[in-house]
Amino acid sequence: MRQSEHKESNASLLQVSNLSIRLNSAAGLVHAVEDVSFTLKAGQTLGIVGESGSGKSVMARSLMNLLPRRAVAQRKGSVLLSGREISTLSERELQRLRGPDIAMIFQDPMTALNPVLTICVQVSEPLQQHLGMSKQAARARAIELLDAVGIPDAVNRIDQYPHQLSGGMRQRVVIAIALTCNPSLLIADEPTTALDVTVQRQILDLLTGLQKERHMGMLLITHDLGVVASRADFIAVMYAGRLVEVAPANTIFKSMQHPYTEALFNSIPRINDASHTRLQAIPGRPPQLHNPAPGCAFAPRCPYAQQRCHRETPPVVQAEQAEHLHACFYPVSAPVALGGVR
Amino acid sequence: MTNTSEQATPLQLRNRDDIVLRLEHLVVNFKVGKQTVQAVSDVSLDVALGETLGLVGESGCGKSTVGRAIMQLPPPSAGRVLFKGQDLSNMSGEALRQTRTGLQMIFQDPISSLNPRRKVRDIVAEGLQIWRRPNQDARVREVMEAVGLDPDTVADRRPHQFSGGQCQRICIARSLALDPDVLICDEPVSALDVSVQAQILNLLEDMKQRYQLTMVFVAHNLAVVKNVSDRVAVMYLGKLCEIGNAEAIYARPAHPYTRALLASIPDMDPDARGQQGKIPLLQGELPSPANPPSGCRFRTRCPNAQARCAEVEPVMQAVADSMTPDHFVACHYPL
Repeated sequence: MRQSEHKESNASLLQVSNLSIRLNSAAGLVHAVEDVSFTLKAGQTLGIVGESGSGKSVMARSLMNLLPRRAVAQRKGSVLLSGREISTLSERELQRLRGPDIAMIFQDPMTALNPVLTICVQVSEPLQQHLGMSKQAARARAIELLDAVGIPDAVNRIDQYPHQLSGGMRQRVVIAIALTCNPSLLIADEPTTALDVTVQRQILDLLTGLQKERHMGMLLITHDLGVVASRADFIAVMYAGRLVEVAPANTIFKSMQHPYTEALFNSIPRINDASHTRLQAIPGRPPQLHNPAPGCAFAPRCPYAQQRCHRETPPVVQAEQAEHLHACFYPVSAPVALGGVR
Repeated sequence: MTNTSEQATPLQLRNRDDIVLRLEHLVVNFKVGKQTVQAVSDVSLDVALGETLGLVGESGCGKSTVGRAIMQLPPPSAGRVLFKGQDLSNMSGEALRQTRTGLQMIFQDPISSLNPRRKVRDIVAEGLQIWRRPNQDARVREVMEAVGLDPDTVADRRPHQFSGGQCQRICIARSLALDPDVLICDEPVSALDVSVQAQILNLLEDMKQRYQLTMVFVAHNLAVVKNVSDRVAVMYLGKLCEIGNAEAIYARPAHPYTRALLASIPDMDPDARGQQGKIPLLQGELPSPANPPSGCRFRTRCPNAQARCAEVEPVMQAVADSMTPDHFVACHYPL
């Protein structure tokens, strides 16, 4: 078992460089992911925030090569996992990575589990497949894992079927399955979107707790800035297939550079604002991703857009602060007063 | 119908003459197999003219069922729904049909609530055609412009040509065509993206002003509910826990469940890291509504529950030191 030598080191766990993905669709080629680069260190959480259609899920799935083969028209760029290029691996080699190295949690716990198999079968499967455990040993380990993710009465619950569990419990089972082989990278794609607020909080606390305890790297993908604000080490904002801003969580809110980040942040209703506070909506809507227009994708909705923004695509550049990247010709220079953060 | 007249008037119903909508001892039962599930259990509340009442709670608490029961979709199993003093739940078919034009509803999924085969113009005009209202074309143009759609370019298109946000605008235009008094919004923005959500929330506020609407706003997102609501009602497992002015409830919740809900909201401030958890997190999950706990329904998850909570069901009482009057809570040991 090759595990966890790299886990203690501070080296980058996941390094994505210039990843571009084009998908086939009836309306033409969809530029789903465009020139995305980022680095994730072991034990850190990178929150990827974007609206629907921004390409965040396509990006996440492509890391595990889970996109339907026929849908992918073009894929460029490199994905290094602990220094090893994984974007060129064969399906068989990838299969060995899934579980021990990368694991994934999906949005909808109702459809992520097989309805006709017991929880025991589904949690034990990777233990038997990847770790070569016997049926008995796998069952015992599965009970421990269900305990670890907070399923009460795991000894009895393990023989139930998914439909006998609530949504929150099912998501806990999905998390337990993801943890079976002690992955070094956990990709959580909207893990709480289908759940109630109270359960969302429980699941997020569980995930961040497990991530710290096991020193996993985590990609936390969400449409909700609030979900990542206090849980991610770094936040990446995605718009129309591109990363428009990446920064440590505690600096991005105080000195956001990209107008989209600012607009997204301002459009969210705040619990501390008085009732009937006028929201600062973003005019228009996200662009279609086939035949993208030249220039910055946000330019048509951007209050600061100049002529140049409609002609040229802004490259990713370094902002004043360390580790703060953005892709804008005219960044929102004035730091946002902290009074705006509630 | 139960003998509502023999039941005491609930404390939280206000004695004002501008009450547009008043629910008294509303009960909605659903048959699930051989069991009967009480989705809404003795809910009483009122909405005054021009007010927005936010209805919040976890999924399965009955908030959408209350919204639908107001529209008599389906009619409540017991209790009364009074719209401008008239009891909707007692009305016969034709009278109900006529009165109900004053109440309109918009839904969570704007795309599936529009007929994909009809043109936008016909969708918006349908209510006007059914009631043979005069000046239909002018009215259709007016409401479409009001919701931010250009009638000349969109009237002849069909719903699939629009995004979710624009479909919700069409739904709002349709609901306004008959000039209703009450608009019931059932999770109107939860299927929309954040950037579009703000547009629709602002639009609803504008429409409320322009057409003097009274609104019932059902949603699970507490920040969204606060943004649009004057009063907020919190439901748990079919029961009303707390009702009162939005600012008062959010600043100083009196029910442990309201406090737990508020504490669950993800914090937007990264500096707040580690500060979370001051308030005990809600443990466990919603019990089955088919077999609710005795006494207070929240007691199985309540950090403050005492023996009495299992025995005696709490009734609504005024919150003693609330910031505003008309703040009520159903708890033996309010915060």
